[in-house]
Amino acid sequence: MSTQPTNSIELTNASRWYGNVVAVNDVSFSLGPGITGLLGPNGAGKTTILHMMAGFLRPSKGQVKVAGQPAFENHEMFRHVGLVPEREAVYPFLTGFQFVLTSAKLFGLSDSTAAARRAVQATGMEFAQERKLGGYSKGMKQRIKVAAAIVHDPQILLLDEPFNGTDPTQRLQMMDLLRRMAADGKTIVFSSHILDEVERLAEAVLVIVAGRLAASGDFRAIRRLMTDRPHTFKVRSSDDRRLATALVADESVFGIELNDEHLTVSTSRFDEFIRVVPRVAKTEDIRLHELLPTDESLESVFSYLVKR
Amino acid sequence: MNSTVFSLTLSQIAGHRRSLALFVLAIVPVLLALIFGLGDNLDQQEWTANVLLDGLIITIALPLACLILGTSALGSEVEDGTAIYILTKPIPRREIITAKFAAAALVAAAFLVPATVISGLIALQGSTGDGLIIGFTVAVLFGIAAYTGVFILLSVVTGRALLIGLAYVFIWEAFATELFTGTRFLSIRQYCLGIADLIASVDSEDFEANLGGVAGVILASIVIAATLFLAVRRLQQFELTETD
Repeated sequence: MSTQPTNSIELTNASRWYGNVVAVNDVSFSLGPGITGLLGPNGAGKTTILHMMAGFLRPSKGQVKVAGQPAFENHEMFRHVGLVPEREAVYPFLTGFQFVLTSAKLFGLSDSTAAARRAVQATGMEFAQERKLGGYSKGMKQRIKVAAAIVHDPQILLLDEPFNGTDPTQRLQMMDLLRRMAADGKTIVFSSHILDEVERLAEAVLVIVAGRLAASGDFRAIRRLMTDRPHTFKVRSSDDRRLATALVADESVFGIELNDEHLTVSTSRFDEFIRVVPRVAKTEDIRLHELLPTDESLESVFSYLVKR
Repeated sequence: MNSTVFSLTLSQIAGHRRSLALFVLAIVPVLLALIFGLGDNLDQQEWTANVLLDGLIITIALPLACLILGTSALGSEVEDGTAIYILTKPIPRREIITAKFAAAALVAAAFLVPATVISGLIALQGSTGDGLIIGFTVAVLFGIAAYTGVFILLSVVTGRALLIGLAYVFIWEAFATELFTGTRFLSIRQYCLGIADLIASVDSEDFEANLGGVAGVILASIVIAATLFLAVRRLQQFELTETD
């Protein structure tokens, strides 16, 4: 019998391919209590990893264990695990409360009605619990899906893009709920392609790019990696040529290109550079019209991390 | 069997369009029997056995009703993504399959058994036709179980269960097994006719099956057990293949 805690997740050299297409490639990590964000661009392999954790995909190679047991072909693990799928589909003929109650009954809970009430309350969905799911908005469906997934008070909660379609208030409420669960010692794993969501919620982050684990660990360390990388800025001013001359003398700048309408400036010190530019402009009495990072898309951040 | 999965499946498969299609499949034999009852030129038992009960109910209404219900009991959930709400529960997969099977078979029986009995009684003008109605009713029940098992299995194996099921019903069952008598052992329709023939005591001139009744019972039972076993096994290894 395994002595592993019921809130542990462990991937060891896990890979998954479909024919010739490699969706997840040799990924290893172990997770315990707290909130972990699975961050990556669309198509990176986040859902495949979550589905392997939930036992819905057999790893082509390596192992995926939940609570010390292989996840695939292991329906008993759902006594400890809740899954919130990305797909919007719900039973349109059930009311919100009936949906959560059905979930409680399927978990075999002794007092399913009380458990369903608690879960609906925890997600703040009492106001719509008597309405049919067919009439729910996307954000409401997300929240009721969370209620159905936590009705048995799982030790592990897996959420696939849980904030899709939610408005800012709903997002804050859901983040609060997940933080409370994490504080109770639960293991929460959620996937997202939005850096801001992960930054606000996750204590640890796994960056997935092209099926590989590009970076992992404390979010602040990853964030530093992201901001300390080479950046390119577009700068427009009242005198681009004179500003270029002044900026090239600064140590934070390692390249400047003078174009017809603007400057393209390269720096490896993001934080320092954005302080230097206004200071230099002021000293040289140059009016700044625009200071814009040109490569801030998540994809460019991810591709930088992969190259490291 | 899991009662929550059973009642959830009943609610799912009782959609308006599906119910209407089942109602049409059940009412057509009754209407045809009423029209037949207006004239008296034909041999009642022969017509009832071969045209009404075999030709219309066993060959068309039975497989089509089971195809509609068997593929929607689990297949439409897999397709629309709601299956995940059942599969993420600590329920043995055999309980899920048996609940789905029971719900689909119950609804099929609710339409097909009355259609068989009522249309048979109308065509035979109140007589049971030397066990013809009882024989075909039992055959329909075996047929419901066997066809539902096959179509539930198909729906967990492939996303094209409806298409493959239609080909099976209209190409294999309706034509191939008629043209090549050696294939009668691989036809649920032939099992059903064998069972009906075993129970009914009508003249062989009026109705005669190509397959023995005992063989029909055994083969139908094997199909039911094998398809359910394979469906359970397949569901245990079920994979969600959406990628990201």
